[in-house]
Order: sequence, then structure tokens, then C-alpha cells
Amino acid sequence: MTALLPVLILLTSLVPAVITFFLDQESHLLRNALSLGGAVLKVALIVVMLFAVAGGAAYETTIPLAPGLVLLLRIDALALLFVSLSATLWLLTTIYAIAYFGTQPELSRFFGFFSLCVAATTGIALSGSLISFFIFFELLTLSTWPLVAHKQDEASLKAARSYLLYALPCSAALLWAIVWLESATGPVLFTEPPDLDGLDPMSLRAIFALFILGFGMKAAIVPLHGWLPAAMAAPAPVSALLHAVAVVKAGAFGVIRVIYDVFGAARVAELGVGIPLAVLASATIIWGSLRALQQHDIKKRLAFSTVSQVSYIVLGAALAGPYGMIGGLAHLVHQGLMKITLFFCAGIYDVRAGVRSIAGLNGLGPRMPWTSTCFSLGALGMIGLPPMAGFVSKIYLGIGGLESGAPWVLAVLAASTLLNAAYFLPLLYRLWFLEPSPDATGDENAPALVVPAVIATLGALGAGVLAASAVSPLGWATLIAERGDIR
Amino acid sequence: MMIWTGPLLPLAALVWPFLLAALTALPAFRGRAVRLLPFAPLPALWLAVAGVEGVTTAPGLLLGVTLGLDAARRLLMGMTAALWLIAGLAAQPMAGKPHTAVFSGFWCLTLTGNIGVFLALDVVTFYVAFAAVSLAAWFLVVHDRTEVALRAGRVYIVTALAGEVSLLVGLLIGAAAAGGVDIEGVRIALGASDAGPVAVALLVTGFGIKVGLVPLHVWLPLAHPAAPVPASAVLSGAIVKAGLFGMILFLPDGAFGSVLMALGLAGAFGAALWGLTQSNPKAVLAYSTVSQMGLMVMLVGAGGAARETVPFLALHHGFAKGALFLLVGAMLAASDRRHRMLCLAFAAAVSASVAGFPFTGGALAKAAVKPGLTDAATLALSLSSVATSIILVWFLFRLWLLPNAGKTATHWPLRLSLPVVAGGLAFAGPWLFWQSWTGHDFVYALAMKPVIDALWPVAVALPPALALLRWSLPQRPPGDLLLLLQGWGTLSIPMPDLSLRWAGGRRLFDALALAIARAERGLLRWSLSSTLLPVLVLAMLALLA
Repeated sequence: MTALLPVLILLTSLVPAVITFFLDQESHLLRNALSLGGAVLKVALIVVMLFAVAGGAAYETTIPLAPGLVLLLRIDALALLFVSLSATLWLLTTIYAIAYFGTQPELSRFFGFFSLCVAATTGIALSGSLISFFIFFELLTLSTWPLVAHKQDEASLKAARSYLLYALPCSAALLWAIVWLESATGPVLFTEPPDLDGLDPMSLRAIFALFILGFGMKAAIVPLHGWLPAAMAAPAPVSALLHAVAVVKAGAFGVIRVIYDVFGAARVAELGVGIPLAVLASATIIWGSLRALQQHDIKKRLAFSTVSQVSYIVLGAALAGPYGMIGGLAHLVHQGLMKITLFFCAGIYDVRAGVRSIAGLNGLGPRMPWTSTCFSLGALGMIGLPPMAGFVSKIYLGIGGLESGAPWVLAVLAASTLLNAAYFLPLLYRLWFLEPSPDATGDENAPALVVPAVIATLGALGAGVLAASAVSPLGWATLIAERGDIR
Repeated sequence: MMIWTGPLLPLAALVWPFLLAALTALPAFRGRAVRLLPFAPLPALWLAVAGVEGVTTAPGLLLGVTLGLDAARRLLMGMTAALWLIAGLAAQPMAGKPHTAVFSGFWCLTLTGNIGVFLALDVVTFYVAFAAVSLAAWFLVVHDRTEVALRAGRVYIVTALAGEVSLLVGLLIGAAAAGGVDIEGVRIALGASDAGPVAVALLVTGFGIKVGLVPLHVWLPLAHPAAPVPASAVLSGAIVKAGLFGMILFLPDGAFGSVLMALGLAGAFGAALWGLTQSNPKAVLAYSTVSQMGLMVMLVGAGGAARETVPFLALHHGFAKGALFLLVGAMLAASDRRHRMLCLAFAAAVSASVAGFPFTGGALAKAAVKPGLTDAATLALSLSSVATSIILVWFLFRLWLLPNAGKTATHWPLRLSLPVVAGGLAFAGPWLFWQSWTGHDFVYALAMKPVIDALWPVAVALPPALALLRWSLPQRPPGDLLLLLQGWGTLSIPMPDLSLRWAGGRRLFDALALAIARAERGLLRWSLSSTLLPVLVLAMLALLA
């Protein structure tokens, strides 16, 4: 039974995905029951495993694919960090999406790919070897495309095309990196450090760069970020999925795996590739914020904010010290909770009040108090104001920068804080302080849309207020660091 | 009865106002939210009176909360809680006015932060509390939602965020140097580490913004007068003390001493002089606050024994300044000439205390400080009393010139009683704590020399002050350096050069935005596979070959 657990977790998303594809468009009830059932079951399984893994257990399943090629699924503390984030947010997003779409056409296709996407993300989290990781990573790329293109209008198709144009060359780079590396070391398992001495430092640096190219596209590192703001043409649940649950997180998670489980922090420092990556991440942080400042569309501003915030995770990983790493891992969860809140709210403003532009937010606060409170708290968390979760990440990343001999990280964090304030606070001011335009309408009588936003907000608040407790994302990240799941 | 005075009490002192803040959001309380305000500081006040010294920990909260009490914390927190209580009572007439639920909620939140600053023993709790007191107070400043209040709010939020960020970075450097989050440890590490001076400079900036240290004080003369009277009282009396206490907690003894002394003195004299160009009595008081806080920062810079006595001075100033602001409120609500005279008389008495007139609390506070000072610093202190006397005479003049309310507000005697209590505490507080804080007996305070020391600055100040009433200085809007920054002008005259400058800034900003957008397009073109893909294919071919 325990050997099957990783597979079971994968199947909770995969089975609904496969069945949903064959469902009639009109069978809303069955489809929703499948999606929700899978999501609830998955969360339940994960809660069970959180207790087991906290007690020291680890689960592993090996599935032979071809001679010399195995699919290795493994559940350890690091895998659980990512999988519990994506499973919880998947559940929230499913509830939200069911309410968001109602009875629109092509929903079987949508929810099928939606579940498939989450299955791929789960696979990425559980992958115990490079090649398993790659397989699921590619599955994610392909299953996301129909979601971005879901509306089938000009803008969506263009966005989806742009997504593939970015994704495929980078996948090629990733494959190249894996083949180059494994041709010298044999199959790379994340639990056993590969012997890298057979490769000269220059080749190792090149392989590292290819890995970053491969994962950096999904993590939206500048200049590979262009697809993410373009993908804003997709419906709000997809944005939530791209920005918080699956796609950008998969990229950042890949960077973490490569730094800690393929190369190892010591080797990264020895090769001198950590600091350049940290610089790149910092540039992304600043650049994303500067671009966010110039957007007039709510979702676009949020998208550039993601570009900036996801690089916090990459920055933490690149610093390759314990504090930076803990900060980066915790931010993986923190950013997910805060950003999904913001996207849920942006979606509610869109469908309940018809508001997409920032100017349209004027005076919506008193009219939609729950949504606006959630949005405000999420935005304050992004700025990094206590007690929302963001400030915890910032403290750990700052100390991590000092610890790794990169004090300029503090300047980046300070600049990012001020820029975040500059592009979020005017929104809050509009929401609560300006008079609404006379023809404005809008309400929030849609509990299935509002409740997920409230839960995500409470999660982000709890992650900050209770940061020091063992059950917080920070506590779990600290457990990962102490246990040495990542070296 | 440890449960009422023991380790749970510091937590209760923070959680209780926080809960009240949450209550104000409930529809049932929204209309009556102001009624909750006097209850918010009660646990903190009880803690200051009866709390047992010791350390309280809540290891699961934030990054591990540790709270504690010692003599300085008890004194300042007691003053703060008492002033918030008095101001909360003074806010009662606001009940039923628009936006008071928001005001009350953030009032409680600001109070939580203000108490937290005095209780925190670790850096993270301190930072969180400081952020709360700093940022939540924005809602107190903009409460009236007039153009003036909103402008003050803009200046306030920009400076507060800048302060927040420099504080965070400074604290992080300190925590990394100390290898821990204990505040004592951080102060020691900042004195010893190489990165110490950078961190100290950042902390001075962060705290300096809060205490109104020249030249970081520009928000203060805008914000304190813009807020409703009870909020002005806590802003000037209690909230600025959070920054002062931060300096005492974190700056190593003597670090940046001469800088702090110079800037403090510049504030002590400069602000007192500039205050004479103000016609709004609340703005005059705000400048007086900048002046008094400058004096206290100077003492922190002087270090040693002087620094130890700063909380004693802050105790007096908090109550006195709170009382003066509330007296402005009482004056605004009075119409009867007798009532107005009464107001003026009380204001004169409290002002005399601030100026250090013999036998007042203020005289005692200054006498307590002097033994720790060099002769030059002592002279500066006496001279600053001259400046203080002049600006407060000006304040009394402007207070008297406030327009008559036309009809006396209801419960006017009650309204007057609140500043009288605060003023009484300013008089009595230093007497009460004199022996325990200074180690001197009362004979020392009542001796001839301190009395003469306290008397002559007031005497010297009176002729120029009276001359000023006759030939007043040109009147300016509040904001001094900010006005210079924006181009000299007054609110009544439109500022042509200001708008020109702004347009210039606008153009620059637009050009920058355009450049960034253009660069972005370039990046997108670059990263589209048009170049990437062929390069990869070629490289792979090369590898195969």
C-alpha cells in the first residue's frame, strides 16, 4: 500500500482528467463531482502523508518505462511542500472555476486539461529522477496550451501560440542539458548526488545554463517572461493555475531541484554560477516591478508582479545558503497563496462588476467588501507588510543574502518593496477612497467565487502570523533544510 | 493571582486592542465603533501599573514573539496607554460621524503597534509592531478626507514606507551580525560589526522619520494638524515616542553621536523658529513636537547617563503635548468667553511646564537630564528652553485667535476635563517617578540652582515673544523643507514654478516609461524563438558532429 501512495496521489488528478474528456458537455453534475472528488481525495491523502513524512517516512515507487529508463516517484518533505501547495490551491481553484464558468460551452475539454495539468504538476513534484521530471514537465507544457487558448478568440490563440513558441525551444534546451549530463554520469536520481567530476567545469557551467534556460522560461525569468503577461487573455481560473498552482511554480521548483539535487549547493558555489543567477533573478525582480507599474489592466499588472515575485524563489535558491533556501522555499508557498488570492479577486471584479481596468476599481471597496478586503490583504502581503506571509520570505531572503556574501540583495529587496507599494497601494486607494463612477454596478453574491478567495487570504495571513509554528510553510521549509532533502 | 499580572498579560495587552480592531469591522459595531476606543488601552495600562517583570514568549507566533517589561518600557508604555485612553475618551464626540468605523479600527491597530514597540524583546516583533503603528496611523491622518488631509496622507505614506524599508534593512543587517533576533544582542553586534555603521545609518533614517528628526521631519507638520484632534494628540504624544524608543533600543551608545546631536539641535531650534510662521495652532504644536523630539534625539546622541534619562523626558512631553492638542479641541468647541479663558489658562500652565518653568514636571524632567551632560550641551538645553518658551507663547496667541465656535458643544466641561487630566499627569508624573529615576531626593529638585536654571530661559524668552505678538513673522503653510523642494509658495497663491517642475518630472517619467517599454519589446523579439531556435539547432548539430 505505502509503495502505491505516490501513484495514488497522481491518479487522483489523472483519473478525473481521463474520464472528463469523455463526458458529455451537458453532464455538469458528474464532471464537477469528478473534479471536486479528485481534489478533495488528494488533499485528504496529502494531509495523511504530511503527518507520516513529518514523522520521518518517505515513499517511493518505480515504474519501468523502457530499458534503462524508469519513472521514479518519490514523496519526501520537499516534494510534499510543492504537492500540498498545488493540491490545496487546485481544490480552491476547482470550486472557483465551477462557479466562474457556470454552463459555458467546452467545459469537458477545459476541466479535462485542467485536471491533466494538475496531474502533471503533481508528477513534477513527486519526480525522483531527472528523466521523470522532464516527462511531467513536458506534459505540463502541452496540457496548459488548450487552457490558455480556451476562449478561442484572437487574443487567446495568439497568447497560446506565444506560450508554445517560448516553451518548446526551452524544452529543447532542457532535454539537451539532461542528455549531456546523463551521458557523462548515467541516470540522475535526486536522492543520490551524481558524480560530476567526469565533466570539466566549462561543460558543467554550460549544462547549468541550459537547465536555467529550460526552467527559466516557466519561472518567467527575464527575458523569457513575455508569454506570461500575454497569457492574461485566458480566463481567471487559468491565470490562477498559471501563476500560483502549476506553471511558474514548476519552473521555480525545477531551478531548486537543479541547484540542490543535481549540482548541489557546494558545486554551484564552486562553479561560480550561483551569483550570476541571483543577479539575473534580481534583475527580473526589478524589471517585473517596473513593468507592472506601467500597466493599466488589473490582470496585466498582476502578471508582471508574478514575474517579479517568482524570482524571489529563484533568488533564494541561487544564494545557495540555508537561510536563502528556506526563504525561497517558503516563498514558493507564500507567493502562491497571495497571488491566487489576487487573481481570484481580479476574476470576481471581472465577472461580477465588469471591471478589468485599474481605473474601474474606483469605489468598489464598500460595494464588494469581502473581495476587496481579500484583494487588499493579498496586495499588502505582496509588498511584504507584516503580518501577511510576504514579510517572512523577505526577512529570510535578506539574511540569506548577507550570509552568502551578497549584501546587494538587501538593496534589491528594498527597491522591490517600494516598487510593489508603488503599484499596489494606488489600487487599494482607488478601491476604498475614491468615489465610484455613477454608472458602476457590481455585487459579490457569488459565494463559490468569494469563499475560495477568503480561504486563500486566510492561508496567506496564517502563514505569516504563525510562521514560527511547525505547520507553517516556513516551518516545513525549515524541516526540509534540517533534514537535508536538498543539499 | 498571577493570571492577572503574570506572563499572559503582555500578550493580552496586544491581542485585546487587535480584537477590538476586528470588532469594528462587524456591521453590529460599525455605528458605535468609537465607543470601543477607551477600552482598547486598558490591559496595557493595567500591565504598566501592576504587571510583573519577566519575559513572555509565544514561540509559534510570527517568527517567535518575545515580550518583556523593564523600568523604561513600563514608564513609556504606561504613558502611552494612559494617553491613548484619554484620547479615546476625547474621541467620543466623533460617534455617528462618517467613516468612524474605519477610524476606530485603525485607531485600535495603531494602538496595538504602539504598545508592541514598547513590549517587544526581539527584532521581528519590534518590526511588526513598528510597521503597524506607522502604517495604520495613515488612516488617522487622512480621516477628514479633505484635500489637505489627503495631501498630508500622501507625504505621510511615502515617508513612512521609506522609513519602513530602511528600518527593515538595518534590522536585517543587525540580526545577521548578531546571529539572533534578541534586541540587546543586535545593539551590541551593531557596535562591534563592520557593517554596523551602515545599519546604524539606516536605523537612524528609519527611526528619524518617525521622531521627526530634521531633515526627515517633513511629514510631521503636515500630518499632525491634518488629523482629528484626538488623533493629533496620540500622534504627537505617543506615536513619535515609538521612534525615539527604537533609537534607544537599537543604537549602540555613542554611535553617530555627533550627527544625532547636530541634527537634534538643528531640529530643536530650527523647528521652534519655523513654528512662528504658522497660524494654525495645531501646526505650531507640531513644530514644537519636532523641536522637543530634536532635543531628545540630541540626548540620545550624547549617550551615557543623558541617554538613560530620555524616557523620563518623554513621559512628560507625551502627556503635555497630548494635553495641548486636546486643549485646541476644547477651544474649538467653546463659545463662552469664560470657557475660552479657562482653556487658555490651562494651555498656559501646560506650556509653562513644557518650557521648564520651575516646579513644573517639565523643569524636573530637564533637571534629571542635566547631570549627564557636558557644559555645552547643558547650555544648549537651556537655550532650547528659550526657543520653546517663544514658540509656546506664539501657540497661546494663535489658540486665543481661533474662531469662536458660536455655540458651546455639549458636555463641554467633560471635554475640558480630559486635557486637564493629561496636563495634570504631565505635572505630576515626573514628581512621582523623580526618586526612582534619578536617584536624587526632592531637596535636589527644590534647591536654588535648578530653580534659577529653569527660570532664566523663560524670563529671557518673554520680551522677544511679546515683540513677536506685536510684529508677527510672515505666515507660511506647514511643510518647510517640502515647500523648498516644491518651489517656494503659499497655498493661497498658485505655484507656477511648482507645476512647471512637476511637468518636467512628468516628462522625464514618461520618457523613462517609454524607454522601458521599448526595451521590453526588444527583449520579446529577442527571446521569441526566431533567434533561439536556430541557435539551438546549430549547437546541437555541432555537438553531434
